Amino acid sequence: MSTQTTQTSAPVLRRQRRSKHRPAWEGRPSVGGQTLKVIVLACVVLAVVFPLYTVILTSLSTQAETIRVGGLVTVPGELTINAYTQILNGGIVTRAALVSTFVTLVGTILSTTVSVMGAYGLSRPGSFAHRPILFVFLITMFFGAGLIPTYLLVSSLGLIDSYWALILPGAVSAFNVLILRNFFMGIDISILDAARIDGAGDWRILGRIVLPMSRAVVAVVALFYGVGYWNAFFNAILYINDNAKWPLQLVLRSYVLQGVTLPGSGVGQVDVATGAVTGLPIKMAVMVLAIVPILVIYPFVQRHFTKGVIFGAIKG
Amino acid sequence: MNATPTFGRLGDHAVDRRRFLGLIATGAAVVGIPGLLTSCTTAPAPSSSAGAAAAGDVIPKYIPITYIDPDYPSVNGSVPGFESIPAELVQSVTSVPGSGLTITAMTPLWGTIPPTKGNKYYEAVNEMLGSDIQFQITDGNVYGDKLATVLASAKDVPDWVCVPTWNLPPRFGSEIVENVFQDLTPFLAGDKVTPYPNLANISSDAWKFCVFNGKLYGLPFPGEVITDAIFYRRDVLEGLGITPDVKNGQDLIDLAVELTGGSVWGAEDLWNSAAIIHSVPPKWKLDGDTLVHRVETDEYRAALEWNAALFASGAVHPDAVADQSGEAKARFQSGKSLIANDGVGGWHEALRDNLAANPSYWQQPFDPFEAGGGTPVLWKGNPANIFSFIKKTDDEAKITELLAIANVLAAPYGTTEYDTINNGVEGVHYTRGGDGLPVPTELAATELQPTYIFLVDPPISESHVQYPGYVKAASEWKANAAQYATDPLFYAQQIVEPQQYASIGQPFVDLEKDISRGRKGMDDLDEAVETWKSSGGEELRAFYQDILDQQS
Amino acid sequence: MALPELVRRRPPTTPPESGKAAPPAPVPTRKIGWRVRLKRDRSLLLMVTPAILLLAVFAYVPMLGNVIAWQQYSPYTGFLHSPYVGWVNFERVFTNPLFVTAVENTLLITAFQLVFFFPIPILLALLLNSVVTPRIRTTIQSIVYLPHFFSWVLVVTLFQQIFGGAGLINQTLRDHGLGNGFDMMTNPDTFLVLITMQSVWKDAGWGIIIFLAALSTVPPEQYEAAAVDGANRWRRMWHISLPALRPVIILLLILRLGDALTVGFEQLILQRGAVGADVAEVIDTYVYYQGVVYGDWSFAAAAGLVKGVVSLALVLGANKLAHVFGESGVYKRA
Repeated sequence: MSTQTTQTSAPVLRRQRRSKHRPAWEGRPSVGGQTLKVIVLACVVLAVVFPLYTVILTSLSTQAETIRVGGLVTVPGELTINAYTQILNGGIVTRAALVSTFVTLVGTILSTTVSVMGAYGLSRPGSFAHRPILFVFLITMFFGAGLIPTYLLVSSLGLIDSYWALILPGAVSAFNVLILRNFFMGIDISILDAARIDGAGDWRILGRIVLPMSRAVVAVVALFYGVGYWNAFFNAILYINDNAKWPLQLVLRSYVLQGVTLPGSGVGQVDVATGAVTGLPIKMAVMVLAIVPILVIYPFVQRHFTKGVIFGAIKG
Repeated sequence: MNATPTFGRLGDHAVDRRRFLGLIATGAAVVGIPGLLTSCTTAPAPSSSAGAAAAGDVIPKYIPITYIDPDYPSVNGSVPGFESIPAELVQSVTSVPGSGLTITAMTPLWGTIPPTKGNKYYEAVNEMLGSDIQFQITDGNVYGDKLATVLASAKDVPDWVCVPTWNLPPRFGSEIVENVFQDLTPFLAGDKVTPYPNLANISSDAWKFCVFNGKLYGLPFPGEVITDAIFYRRDVLEGLGITPDVKNGQDLIDLAVELTGGSVWGAEDLWNSAAIIHSVPPKWKLDGDTLVHRVETDEYRAALEWNAALFASGAVHPDAVADQSGEAKARFQSGKSLIANDGVGGWHEALRDNLAANPSYWQQPFDPFEAGGGTPVLWKGNPANIFSFIKKTDDEAKITELLAIANVLAAPYGTTEYDTINNGVEGVHYTRGGDGLPVPTELAATELQPTYIFLVDPPISESHVQYPGYVKAASEWKANAAQYATDPLFYAQQIVEPQQYASIGQPFVDLEKDISRGRKGMDDLDEAVETWKSSGGEELRAFYQDILDQQS
Repeated sequence: MALPELVRRRPPTTPPESGKAAPPAPVPTRKIGWRVRLKRDRSLLLMVTPAILLLAVFAYVPMLGNVIAWQQYSPYTGFLHSPYVGWVNFERVFTNPLFVTAVENTLLITAFQLVFFFPIPILLALLLNSVVTPRIRTTIQSIVYLPHFFSWVLVVTLFQQIFGGAGLINQTLRDHGLGNGFDMMTNPDTFLVLITMQSVWKDAGWGIIIFLAALSTVPPEQYEAAAVDGANRWRRMWHISLPALRPVIILLLILRLGDALTVGFEQLILQRGAVGADVAEVIDTYVYYQGVVYGDWSFAAAAGLVKGVVSLALVLGANKLAHVFGESGVYKRA
């Protein structure tokens, strides 16, 4: 009664088609159109995959190899996982990954919840103080605050060295609220009216109807927030003095700086012989490590893209 | 002229725009005397008391000490060189200075973040100091932002704060330093430094640079006298059978052209080199009685014309033409470009990164020359590039304890203190190899980040004994170059410029790139100089003239 | 898939027309007193409260710091005691001749990218949506958004290694004696094209996510019904998919207009030296080089406020325009 309409109700017809996924009612595509589509998509994929391959390959190369080729490596030469072992050794990265996971989880849940509520609260034009409240959100998109005022605020709230300093200052993004609201407003009003006539309050409507119908966009917004928290490091620079509480991105950045010449040059003492691998492989490994968690999460987000159709199926 | 070339390397991998802010901010400090210093017009106008006239009375007396004799002694202020690690290290401070205080210290770090708990390196150094220094470490590229915010909130300022010259916040000299940080004059001026022999061993120029408004506030991290050099790949040139004989600017262009071919280019962007060989002053020079700004000088014009000619010759690597300075070192070290400007510290780093895979690797700086073949004039770099300050306190015992700790941290090469701070603990962080050289352990890679050096530092010494032939080559080159070292006008003075003129020099940074790449010509320079004069340049000249008059 | 009981009992009487957003509930406002509305909407207000509180504390309170735009601010003296200087800082923003170049370049880049960048994620999303094999579709989806996570430094480096004077293309040309080719990375005339290509490469894949989410709300039956009615592929895209995307396209368009004065700061700073400030100076870099570099917080705050006011005006204007065309835009007059 839901997605099954397309997924499972046409097994008989399916066999007659070239593609088993093509719905029964859809005609065979033209050869020209199909070819064009394949070419375009192949180009798009290639344009992304080749650089990605270079980055990963460089992260797996020795520093000598990167120096030999004078930049990113495109042809596999001397391979090593030194860059990765060096980063992952010592337990600091592991700890930082835990911190980041915690901050990302708590932050995403908080932000998404608050935003979904806010968006729904704003989704009915004509409600009490609707436009002024909308304006309150809108203004924050265009008028920022400087570093120093924000720091003074966080400091006076006693949040220095607290994980909340990494979450609360950026917890609500007006952009995400507007996106959610836009989708919420697209829901057929007659459904909501029907619910209301049945005596459902707004909390119930949000939880039972709007949310299940909006899984896709809620997943996207959660992804936006999650990526934001995961990649954020600047708040931590300002608000976290205790280096044991640094999030992952900040720790990873410090690997990029290793072996760098100090400004003012001539500073002989800094490059103490620690035997650390420096240079391009480390930088690329850092880039890869930063992407991996997102790569892992994305399929879960994507899954909701097809679930969004549940309700449509009923309506049809 | 001091910082950019080496620092450009940080640009390789910006994770986001913030770190980039740090990067560019560094570039801003390039023009000699920190352009970041600004004054508040409501505050009493900075007078000559800021300058050298008063500095003589407040800086510590210079009492050089020698724990071990260098193989290459200092010539004209050049960096002394040590060919070997002394078998017997000297303990320069015999009593433990600390009383067990916990001291918070904020420093930048260009390196991997070490664990702060259970770190044997920190434990060892803190034990030596007798106090527990707890570091608040910040990514060096964005340290300026952190500093600016923390200084705006006095209660968050730690006991000891590192301030790089390129991160000095506006009005630091006029407002912040005296309100937030401790005046050290009563503790260090003149003979009062005697209880701290290692601090007394730091040159007067470095101390002079720590004087703000006639009082001594900072502890210095001394810098090189000659900061930059023009390097060429001697190993590659030898392979080609070329022995460079560069006596003037044209020779250098000719050599670069000769080396260009196939997928190899002769040179990187040599703008800094152009400024060096044309003796472009860092900020001001005296023409008779008149102050002439860098951008007005004939030297500056000549340097621009020379660099434009270099670019026009086609000998500059295309990536350098595209101003991808972040990869300049990678290109140079891979032999895609063969002549490059770098900080002198880049020399041994290149050896560190290349010798293992390419034992014949050698980069060599050209001996100093003047563009027209005359006697070179090399302007001295800032006598210190990084300071640290102690938070203002009424507790005199605490101040003297911190200074006693600083005295340990300033112990020079050849002392046990220096060894522990830089190499960690024997058997834990390194083992002695057969040749007596320390071989770092795996633990060193995680734990050993010598953040102490950002608090105070001994005078620079050249002791990279692990690279065969390096100490000799570097010491000799530096000794030779030092004979041409010249004090620029207002050398080693903290001058607080009025803020409204802070950005008027900015267009020239773009112009230098535009003219070099042939997008603009000398007419545009004339125009820019006129704009500069009318938008505050003349006022700035008068401002400096005033200081000059009061000093004479 | 347990559906809410109440919905199952009362299916909507009118099927929605082709996925287009149904008009929002016509809530009569004028007739009802505010007390009644306050009571009626109290749960809506309650829902908005946490977000408002967070914004009030962490956005609006520090926003007061912008008062330094009218001050000669010094961090030590603080917001309360720094001397007031009137509109001097605003004058400094406007009077510099470089400012005009910066504004021109910014608007040019925005206009160019609105035409050549903005539609691409939409087209890509439609294209992907038409791929029928789920495995291929999801695989492509989860690859194309990855460049978003590359730093700009890396993106510029990659472009340099391919299109630069010593890059893959030119080196190949040279090796085959085909001359020196064309150095796209240092040509000010093609800079606009270059940075747009870079932006497309980096962010188009990320941009499609939101459109894919919107497309997933279209019930497949609508396509089926249309197909049965004889609508071909293009007509189905035109009459079903595009209308489904329309509200979110309009919203993003309006918000992009509000961001018209903001264009790739880091991307431009990285390539400024290659092409010169004449084409690469935009408002953000101008403010950066004139103010931020020198710690001139007051100048930066003044510039930020000017930008904010213009952006807000642009958004409100675009919103009005949307109303003219019958779209609800960001907000709608009740």
